[in-house]
Amino acid sequence: MNLPLLPTAIVGSYAMPGWLERLKTDYFARRISRHDLDEIYDAASKAAIKDQEIAGLDIVTDGEPRRDNMVDYFLERLPGVQIDRSSKKFYYDFYDSVVQGKLPMASLGLAQDFRFLQTFTERAAKFCITGPHCLTKRIRNQFYPSEEALATDIAKVMNLELKALVKAGARLIQIDEPYFSGFPEDLSWAVKVLNTLVDGVDARISVHICYGNRYGKPSWEGSYRYLFPAILDAKVHQLTLEFARRGGEDLDLFKEFPSSFELGLGVIDVKIHDIETPEMVASHIRKALEVMPAEKIFVLTDCGCFHLPRDVAFAKMQAMVEGTKIVRKELGKS
Amino acid sequence: MILKLNHLQGKSAASTAQDVIGTIYKLLEEGHIDQHQFACLQIELDWIQYKQNFREVVIATQGYNQSGDQVPLMDVHVDTRQVVPGCLRAELLRAIARTQPEHQQRDRLPLEDFRSLRHSIVWEFNKLYWSRLKDWEQATGKGYEEALPGGVSDGHQPEAIADAVESFWNLLQELEAKNQLPPEIFLLEIGVGTGTRCGLWLTKFRDLDQSRGTNYYPKLRILLGDYSLATLDISRPAVKEHVDLCSFLVLDAVNPLKTLSFLRHKILQVHSTNVYDNLPDEEVIRRDGHLYFVQVRAYLPMAEVARLATEFDLAPDRVRPMIHRILAGGFDDLGTHARGVCFWQEVWKAMRLEERLVQVEDLPDFPFPDGLDASKLEDILQEAPSDFRFHLSSGALESFVNTLPLLHPRGYLQVQDIFVTDLNQYRVGFYGPGKLDGSLLNWVNGALLKEVAERAGYNVHFEPFRYRKGSRTSVLYTTRRE
Repeated sequence: MNLPLLPTAIVGSYAMPGWLERLKTDYFARRISRHDLDEIYDAASKAAIKDQEIAGLDIVTDGEPRRDNMVDYFLERLPGVQIDRSSKKFYYDFYDSVVQGKLPMASLGLAQDFRFLQTFTERAAKFCITGPHCLTKRIRNQFYPSEEALATDIAKVMNLELKALVKAGARLIQIDEPYFSGFPEDLSWAVKVLNTLVDGVDARISVHICYGNRYGKPSWEGSYRYLFPAILDAKVHQLTLEFARRGGEDLDLFKEFPSSFELGLGVIDVKIHDIETPEMVASHIRKALEVMPAEKIFVLTDCGCFHLPRDVAFAKMQAMVEGTKIVRKELGKS
Repeated sequence: MILKLNHLQGKSAASTAQDVIGTIYKLLEEGHIDQHQFACLQIELDWIQYKQNFREVVIATQGYNQSGDQVPLMDVHVDTRQVVPGCLRAELLRAIARTQPEHQQRDRLPLEDFRSLRHSIVWEFNKLYWSRLKDWEQATGKGYEEALPGGVSDGHQPEAIADAVESFWNLLQELEAKNQLPPEIFLLEIGVGTGTRCGLWLTKFRDLDQSRGTNYYPKLRILLGDYSLATLDISRPAVKEHVDLCSFLVLDAVNPLKTLSFLRHKILQVHSTNVYDNLPDEEVIRRDGHLYFVQVRAYLPMAEVARLATEFDLAPDRVRPMIHRILAGGFDDLGTHARGVCFWQEVWKAMRLEERLVQVEDLPDFPFPDGLDASKLEDILQEAPSDFRFHLSSGALESFVNTLPLLHPRGYLQVQDIFVTDLNQYRVGFYGPGKLDGSLLNWVNGALLKEVAERAGYNVHFEPFRYRKGSRTSVLYTTRRE
């Protein structure tokens, strides 16, 4: 994979337009068909890909317009999880989900979404999945003896899915685990589960850990210190963390706990609509360079852009790209 | 004609209702109302809750389309409390005649053009009141809390404060147990009043903190926010024991985020009492599948203009300019400061609002307050009565959505106020605006806040205020929505 120094990308989702929210709701109200909705998703995804390309990102995602939220898209597909489809009032709500038996091994069909992405871009493509720890927290467990046991089985099913994604051509895979920050006490088993998930998956794998972005606001506060040293056992290539909103204080943890991890550096605050200047972005990167060589830094948004208006998300991506160019130039790599 | 009867006064209004029906039929038979008008009439009585308000005995409200042409819709509201035997016929005739395009407004002095209630001059008076509170109180000899409908603020109830302190302390304990207690614990009071609640809360919290051996009290950072510097000054003595922990901020209750954006996601508790009911409001009517926006125009009855002119030694055509001088703070223009204050109070007493209904033809382009849009409103109205008048509660709504981003992930908002908690309550009556000493009072559309909050990631709950018998207030509190 041929990536420039300090590759730029969004964490996963692109802006969810208001019109698409209404159409999703129309689908739930049976005012439009599944076929029409799928066509709408395709169009929205193509637009999201194009916006990322025009903004100048080096790595693009499909924008995730098909996902109502970061959980249901997976639980709906996860064999053995029972969903109460009447439990939603608004598309963004979570379904009420329950597991009452052992999860069977079966495909979630995610490779199809990756192939769609690959068809419509020539840039490096990243595919994001929600991790087993996060999914476990949204399931009522009526079968497994512990959350760890349920999460481990989810990881086993999704491990096959990741391998299917690799077979389809995925080289950059991101695992989203925001609930780590809400349940730091789970970390010792959650890292084991993460390793089960990525076992034998031949791709560059990052794990995205933020402080939540539900409804565009943080779900928790604190310091990334809780991650260390347990996270050092994770068999992933990259930690993708939010720094723009929270400040760069926790960057020192990478000095304190040396590791082989790359750093996915959040330089864009996705919880406010103010557009960062390129200089602000550059300043975040410079700070990270104090603890990590440029070759190991990816420049990213703090989290998904789901809650941002499209024009704001686009402008933020442009600022991210321009800010990165400033630093590349300073490093003599423009 | 549709006759809508409410029974709000706790006593029979049957005789007035019969009187209204008889009078309307008579006006029809005599040709004062034609058949076409009659078919479009909706008469409602009784509909006004506050004894002091901005209405005439009878008001007739005509519908218009956006081009300014009349549409076949007319609401007539009768305040049965004000009905004097024998006056109904004349009042009805006068009110209906005023809706006719050819009618000359000779009996009133308009103070503005028709506009949204939130942009009406009445809010300038409201603002003046809070910024010149001492002047008003000096002139009347009574504090503003005495002018509240119950004569007292529910915010000061010691038991309520004790419970609030206890639950906040518990939250801090939980955070500490998870090692997530912030080094500085921010609390925001929006609209500080006399400062009494803040003072009582802090004393109670300090005592509890000491008795339980925790050390949270010194970490507290209390932000007292009010748009009136005068009110902030008044509040200071009430918190003097804790003043080192307090910051006094001039803050627009409609947009606390503007002043406090540096505390986004940092504040653990935001509280207010009787603030939302005093923020600019707008009203909407749903009728026959259409939405109509209520436009208002403040005016003085000509008889009052004449009285003011005589009393303050002004030419009648100088009354309106003098009102604008007073709003700009020119109290001394009437000779003495006290005389200026007196003029202000007399104008306020005399001021009325007339209204008209303008059909909302293009909902998506409607100038919604922050936090609301056409699709949300349509969703909300799906469960609402098909024919009703409701508050858009624009100021309260904007305050609400501009406060939520300040909340720490575990933080909450508590608002004690007079809420309509279910849109079906509007079937029973419409409340407001009420006219207090120098300020306005409106019930707040809590049902609307609840829906908007859900889309912003919060569940909203309402609890009737149980600490004072007969209180009409409820406590809105938020919990995080998963």
